[in-house]
Amino acid sequence: MNLVRGYLGELRREAVAGWNRFWFTPADPATLALIRILAGTMLLYTHLVWTLELSDFFGHDSWVSAEAAAMAHGGGEATSYVWSYFWLLRSPAALWTAHVAALVVFAILTLGFFSRVTSVMAYLIAVSYVNRVPGALFGLDQINCMLAMYLMMGPSGAAWSLDRLLAARRAGGRLPPAEPSTSANLAIRLMQIQMCVIYFFAGLGKLHGESWWGGDAIWGALANLEYQSLDMTWLAAWPLTVAVITQVTVYWELFFCALVWPRLLRPMVLALAIPLHLGIAFCMGMITFGLVMLIGCVSFVPPWLVRRLFMVP
Amino acid sequence: MSNPPTMPVAVRGAAAAPLRWSARVRAAVSVLVALHVVALLVGPLSVPDSIVGRFLGQFYRPYLEIAYLNHGYKFFGPDPGPSHLVRYELELADGSRLKGIFPDRAEHWPRLLYHRHFMLSEFVMALSRPGDPGLPWEKQPLSQGQRVYARSYAHHLLEKHQGNRVTLYFVEHLIPSPKEVLDGMKLDDPRLYRTLKLGTYGADDFDDAVSTAMVAEARQ
Repeated sequence: MNLVRGYLGELRREAVAGWNRFWFTPADPATLALIRILAGTMLLYTHLVWTLELSDFFGHDSWVSAEAAAMAHGGGEATSYVWSYFWLLRSPAALWTAHVAALVVFAILTLGFFSRVTSVMAYLIAVSYVNRVPGALFGLDQINCMLAMYLMMGPSGAAWSLDRLLAARRAGGRLPPAEPSTSANLAIRLMQIQMCVIYFFAGLGKLHGESWWGGDAIWGALANLEYQSLDMTWLAAWPLTVAVITQVTVYWELFFCALVWPRLLRPMVLALAIPLHLGIAFCMGMITFGLVMLIGCVSFVPPWLVRRLFMVP
Repeated sequence: MSNPPTMPVAVRGAAAAPLRWSARVRAAVSVLVALHVVALLVGPLSVPDSIVGRFLGQFYRPYLEIAYLNHGYKFFGPDPGPSHLVRYELELADGSRLKGIFPDRAEHWPRLLYHRHFMLSEFVMALSRPGDPGLPWEKQPLSQGQRVYARSYAHHLLEKHQGNRVTLYFVEHLIPSPKEVLDGMKLDDPRLYRTLKLGTYGADDFDDAVSTAMVAEARQ
């Protein structure tokens, strides 16, 4: 009995200590700041592209009518909690004003100016856009909003930002590196956990299908003319290669959530993300999606390595 | 022989920074973090439908919808299937005709804009319901969701081009097998396409009463 009590006591102590260490150890905000620059750039580009057909997607006579959007969001439920400020914009002038303002916010966030405020605004803006056009969205939008959500939880402007430059100028010179921050760690941890959830269920979802298990799913992606941006159909003569790529993809996604945590395995796990996502980017033409997934993976790069890679103290 | 260090000695040797938040703050944040982490699982557990996903969804749906976390993350799953396009034929006010298709690489650039149009056509497929096994693909009845979206696309095209009438077709582009490709089949071989008519819509078909009734029907 004492043995069981002792075990349970130790388990509780270790669990609490581990939980505190994982979530609440202050961290250098360098990784979060790098993600602010990368995700901010992606948010800016994503929304800049909407400019080309802003009225077609967000105007009064949008591809996705109010009725269609309500149906997509309602899904049989009486009450929907989905929100978007686009429903309040009644005129083309209001629509364009809001759009230009949104682009300015994303640009300012990328530069790290008033980061605490602009990161919250960026999240609200990004969600407003996607909720207005259900049916025109894909994984890029989910990851964009996820990154924006966590950027607003931590001091993403505490390094490599205009905020920092202005603080240095006010202090009369160069500032020491940013102080470790608990909320920076919390934001990064939440990104990491969500990336693990995304990959795990992406892998699990593939096991519902016969082609991922059977080994020819990658062929289905490569031979899809509407996605294709690089002709890889010569792989028809290499079925074993297709099968290996298919199954490595599934196993990598399934086990990412476990293998990415040990320090010595992490570089290998992250290195595999590069061909996987660049393959999606360049073979299937989904450059933005491939890149935004890699930005999510940056959350696993420790701050000291970020500083060393960019040679910025 | 020791391995080369993979992180600076200062980093390896440093003790973890002391916790700065009080125990009370950490406890409160821990509860929120735990609730949020469970929320992250609800979307994926609900696509496709599951008992656990449905149970958690009753409590979490408001949060998931407000925070835009209601996703399944089943990228390219369960199988990378055929792609879908929407072809349209417009009758303009001056009697001329205009044909088009979305997505269209020649028209929709950059690639992200192409993908936006591609998702519009793919969403029509996502809204489909299990078909009638007794009918060929080309004769399958449309789900109510597909009708609502087809009407929406028709309305947009009529307004954009000031058309009188538009007919929409849903095109499925099948994937050839590796053997078919090795035997010389091209990815755009006409045998790989099949077409289902979505409907014909006139400019006078769009009034509020009809739209509201369709949405109510779709929600049921």
